[in-house]
Amino acid sequence: MTQPIIELKHVDKHYGDLHVLKDVNLAVDKGEVVVVIGPSGSGKSTLCRTINRLETIDSGEILIDGEPLPEEGKELAAMRAELGMVFQSFNLFAHMSILDNVTLGPIDVLGVPKAEAEKRAMDLLGRVGVAEQAHKVPAQLSGGQQQRVAIARSLAMHPKAMLFDEPTSALDPEMINEVLDVMVDLASQGMTMIVVTHEMNFARRVANRVVFMADGAIVEEGTPDEFFDHPKSARARDFLDSIKGH
Amino acid sequence: MTALCFVFVMLMAVAITVLRVSPFKPLRLVGDLYVQIFRNIPGVSLLVIIVYALPNLNLVLPYRTCVIVTVILVASAFGSENFMSGINTIGVGQIEAARSLGLSFGQILRKIVIPQALRTTVLPMTNLLIAVMLSTSLGSQVPLTPPELTGVVSYINTRSTGGILAFGIAAAGYALTAVAIAFVGNRLDRKVRIKR
Repeated sequence: MTQPIIELKHVDKHYGDLHVLKDVNLAVDKGEVVVVIGPSGSGKSTLCRTINRLETIDSGEILIDGEPLPEEGKELAAMRAELGMVFQSFNLFAHMSILDNVTLGPIDVLGVPKAEAEKRAMDLLGRVGVAEQAHKVPAQLSGGQQQRVAIARSLAMHPKAMLFDEPTSALDPEMINEVLDVMVDLASQGMTMIVVTHEMNFARRVANRVVFMADGAIVEEGTPDEFFDHPKSARARDFLDSIKGH
Repeated sequence: MTALCFVFVMLMAVAITVLRVSPFKPLRLVGDLYVQIFRNIPGVSLLVIIVYALPNLNLVLPYRTCVIVTVILVASAFGSENFMSGINTIGVGQIEAARSLGLSFGQILRKIVIPQALRTTVLPMTNLLIAVMLSTSLGSQVPLTPPELTGVVSYINTRSTGGILAFGIAAAGYALTAVAIAFVGNRLDRKVRIKR
């Protein structure tokens, strides 16, 4: 059996009295696209953020390529550099040009020479369709464009896997598809992805596996067809009913 | 004296602020303590302490240095507060994004936090520069050669009548300098302000 790229074993986390992650077990293989869905407050964002230790866990284990997630410090930084992360609120560096946003990681973390980093950044910006904006600052771009830049910024680090934390939730409806298209492209090129989202069509089309969370626990998982057409748990059926009919 | 003080004020303010955002609690406490102490002591009192109390510890500084040190200590505490409010506008998201890219604490400070904090604090720092300039009038309380402006005016006032005129001229000098600093500060702010 091949080793999963990302593996969570018996992960528990509390915020005070609130039990936000309850004995979460999840393994993601290379090239797999796992979509995490569930009602808000179900812990799916927290789950995503624990994987590169933006949130710490109380107990359990998180393994990246079979290695346990390091404590804070150099090793953790090195591990984070290998995982791409895309946030709901884009989080581009406001004082830098688009190009500098994308080259910062490669130059300062990976030690890539500036000219080479810029060339690759321009390629990536072209791939996500914002190459003409390279010399603007983030505030001059639309939300959809900013999110595509954020994806390019992560890709510039040659990540082993990408984490998407509700990447389209802060976008106006007409911009959601331009971001999803980039993600579909990535998936088709074999990128390992964990995607927390409310975009059910994306989940159906792109996911290898759908993970449904509620109240901090993984309630069920399966292929998109299994999950959307024949949900096993009452919780999942309720959830799917509640989002239908819009 | 104002320019010299302000250079050190900015350096100290950055250093103190780095302490205050560091991941180590003792360092944060030191930084906070520094700000609380020097922000809350009147400049004159601090000057008196430095001029008259430090010699008891066998530390005798020239008068000019005493004034400069006083101004730097007080103003850097205020400067650090300005930086902290600048840092608070950056938003935790950008810091998380930088951590996700694998940047170290020092790199995040140098590349993300300090450049943005500097740009968003141009206006408050302009105020601080004016305050530094005005508080160099502390120098009037100790003998200086060459003497400080307020000191000269006080001297004229005690020697001859017509003191109001002398104070008026001095006040106009301070005010004009302050207006000039504010003008430059505003221009600079418009140039480097981060679009949001």
